[in-house]
Amino acid sequence: MKPIINCIAFMCLIFCAIVRAEVPTFTIEIRDHLFFPSQLIIPANTKVKLIVINRDATPEEFESYELNREKVIMGGAKAIIFVGPLVPGDYPFFGEFNPKTAQGIIRVEN
Amino acid sequence: MLDAVLLILREVLEAALILSLLLALSNKLQLSYRWSFFALLVGVAGSWLLAHYAYDIADAIDGAGQELLNAALYCAVIISVILLGMLILPLAFAPAKNISPARNVAPNQHRLLYLLFIIIFSFSLMREGAEIWIYLSAFDHKAEAMSSALIGAAVGAGIGMSLGAIIYYVFAFLSRNYFLPIFITVITLLAGGLSMQVAKQLMQIGLLDSDAPLWDSSFLVNEHSWLGELLYALVGYDSRPTPIQGIFYLLTITPILFASIWHAWRLRGNAHE
Repeated sequence: MKPIINCIAFMCLIFCAIVRAEVPTFTIEIRDHLFFPSQLIIPANTKVKLIVINRDATPEEFESYELNREKVIMGGAKAIIFVGPLVPGDYPFFGEFNPKTAQGIIRVEN
Repeated sequence: MLDAVLLILREVLEAALILSLLLALSNKLQLSYRWSFFALLVGVAGSWLLAHYAYDIADAIDGAGQELLNAALYCAVIISVILLGMLILPLAFAPAKNISPARNVAPNQHRLLYLLFIIIFSFSLMREGAEIWIYLSAFDHKAEAMSSALIGAAVGAGIGMSLGAIIYYVFAFLSRNYFLPIFITVITLLAGGLSMQVAKQLMQIGLLDSDAPLWDSSFLVNEHSWLGELLYALVGYDSRPTPIQGIFYLLTITPILFASIWHAWRLRGNAHE
């Protein structure tokens, strides 16, 4: 078992080193169960770092089937979510805990 | 309230299906069901702890704590499922004329089986359950909204458990000769699906690079739909899997697949002798 754990740790280290490269960053805020901005434009074919800041006191879950992402963001906390590289198009996302109001879209453009 | 019903249903569905499958296996192998109470206890307690320490977990390891912990829980379940598959494969391939001893798990393996059952179910429940606790915590100081959410949660959990019960009876009524191959196939696909979730967690924190999906079958079965949700819970259906998820899937199903081929080959060899 131990060699496997070592191997996994080593692979993680290599991955971490790769990840340190700079990626464009975008911020989305959650206020009163709404996303600001509700439409975000990001570049195509680029890995992007989303920072989602939850200004509400209640938790929210950022979720998108199209982006294949989901992450719980506690009240007053912020989360980092990497997306892309994506082909141009519209990728809706929503807050799973308040799906009626918390709706947004990521528009990927060339 | 409807939001709560759907959310809770989504969360409990996977754990309920896993529980039904494992209970059906316990039935077929004439094992005790007692492990399920213990697993339920561990799962609920664990999910509460995960929710209670959600802030600390999320902040850990440069904000990647939630994903890494989820990935670790998924991995523990995947490894347990593969081990379980390996343990029961010989039974599925035992010559039909063989009676009792060779057609059942050796008594000294019972404890290992129970341990695997507990890990598989409780770890799955832990992950999903934590989200339910966090969701309900939003209504902490709003009595009316809380009661509505709790009713929704009860309805959602009830539907999830009913579906689990149906799956259990479907499997329990199958004859053993059909049950074992189907069970092994389903848990192999389930493990494959979970491995795609591991890849997804690692892509989300940027450890693995995402890429254009291999295909898009959302026009066929959408993940928003009921069938999509059910397939997701049962075999980890993803309408837009990325190449790296495909690799994880293949790597995960390979051990059981090769072991099955090996057993089938040996069985043929024996039949010829």
